[in-house]
Amino acid sequence: MTRQEMTRKEFLKATAGAVAVAASPRPGLPPAEKPGPKRGVSIYSYSDDLFKTATLEDCLAAVGDLAADGEQIGLEVLANSHIEGYPTPSDAWVARWAELCAKYRLKPVEYGHWVDSKLRSEKPPWLSTRESYQMLVRDIRLANRLGFTCGRTKLGVIDGQLTPVENWREFIKMALPVAQKYNFRMMPEIHPPTRLKSKMVDDYVDFIEKENATPWFGLNIDFGVFQNRRSRGSQESRGAAGQAAEGRGASGGRPMAPGAMEPSKVEDMVPLLPYVHCCHAKFMEMDDNCQETSIPYPEIIRTLVAYNWNGYLLSEYEGADRNRGGAFQAVRKHHVMLRRLLLREA
Amino acid sequence: MLEKEIIQEQGFRNVRKNGQVVGFQVRYRSCYYRSIWLSMSLGFDVAVDGEKFSRDQVTVTIGGRTYTQEAMKAITDVQWPISEAAILTVSKPGGLEPGVHEVEVGWGHAASYMPMEMGNMPRRPQSADVDAAMRGMMPFTEKRKIVLVV
Repeated sequence: MTRQEMTRKEFLKATAGAVAVAASPRPGLPPAEKPGPKRGVSIYSYSDDLFKTATLEDCLAAVGDLAADGEQIGLEVLANSHIEGYPTPSDAWVARWAELCAKYRLKPVEYGHWVDSKLRSEKPPWLSTRESYQMLVRDIRLANRLGFTCGRTKLGVIDGQLTPVENWREFIKMALPVAQKYNFRMMPEIHPPTRLKSKMVDDYVDFIEKENATPWFGLNIDFGVFQNRRSRGSQESRGAAGQAAEGRGASGGRPMAPGAMEPSKVEDMVPLLPYVHCCHAKFMEMDDNCQETSIPYPEIIRTLVAYNWNGYLLSEYEGADRNRGGAFQAVRKHHVMLRRLLLREA
Repeated sequence: MLEKEIIQEQGFRNVRKNGQVVGFQVRYRSCYYRSIWLSMSLGFDVAVDGEKFSRDQVTVTIGGRTYTQEAMKAITDVQWPISEAAILTVSKPGGLEPGVHEVEVGWGHAASYMPMEMGNMPRRPQSADVDAAMRGMMPFTEKRKIVLVV
């Protein structure tokens, strides 16, 4: 080994040390949480990089770097995908998880999990009420062990409108006392093509009211329901013509394709806010001014602040450049936007 | 870490048993963002240089355990982690010649939160203009030229 190589190696070692110091936690306890909308990230955003070009710790470090001094960033994981050894991680992994959250100043917020109704077969009979309940309880306990207080509780569906499985009320009702015991808010996600004004949402609200289920069962609103422009590479532009346009580098923010479903109005979320404990801050494309080109973020944030909504906005990136390493920078731009909007409305 | 491509080049090699080449192995990482229960895999179809292999010629090793594709259907409590490539072992006496081979793997998975039966859907060929958002959500066939050394 030459002297020059040694020097380079030493330099790299020193640089790595410097990064570790910059990312280390500040002494003392994290500050008490401020009420209102707060920033968070779903690790799902980095799916195309995770375990390929980046480790889980790399992704956690990227999220931690979005925090201002004295701030924590909320975190969403997908349980099956991101917890090593799921559904029975080792004690060592759980201890490491807590260390990483402290190191990068992350607050575990939402635990993404599934009631896998099609576990044994794509055709009915699907999971029984008892089996669904057991799957839910296993996740609630694990989520609690890892510090999560909310769940993106994905239910199996039976039709193109994404109507949940017929026995959902039974197993959710059985799980309510368990959720309370473990301080865990189960939330199906209201996601396109579902709209906020829909029978599905009405059914959820009826159930919540009838069972007095707040906050242990609620809703996660995915901001994709408000998407009113086309972004580059969005599903709406994925026809042959859209793909050709994309190939030529068409800019985002174009009108929706003719015949596309009307998005939900931002005001439609107001009556639902008491049931919403987390939102998926879906975004498709950030321009170089750090504005989202297809979803009306200023109006969304203004409404959440005006109605004193309290909870985490979990950035969830589904842009066209995810498979080319674009997610890390897109999330940073999204947080410039969220921070600006939150400071403006504060 | 895994290779970005779905069909992994590292691990592509002939398999020997009692001094005889009995087949070959290729590693395949999940294209899905979610780890799944083994029972929700809809099966792996492998072809090399146009030669197709039946599912009973292909076993799957995950977490150090090897399953026939038929046996996987009944395993509802073991996950295939997205962080681990499955090792597909293909029975082919004599194996493959060292050199470049075009490997094709078709795979799909059930998805409880999607309304359609994925098992009934065609495995769409992948092309450059198929968006990342759809890859992994539908059954599909992946192709890659990779090099077998030994």
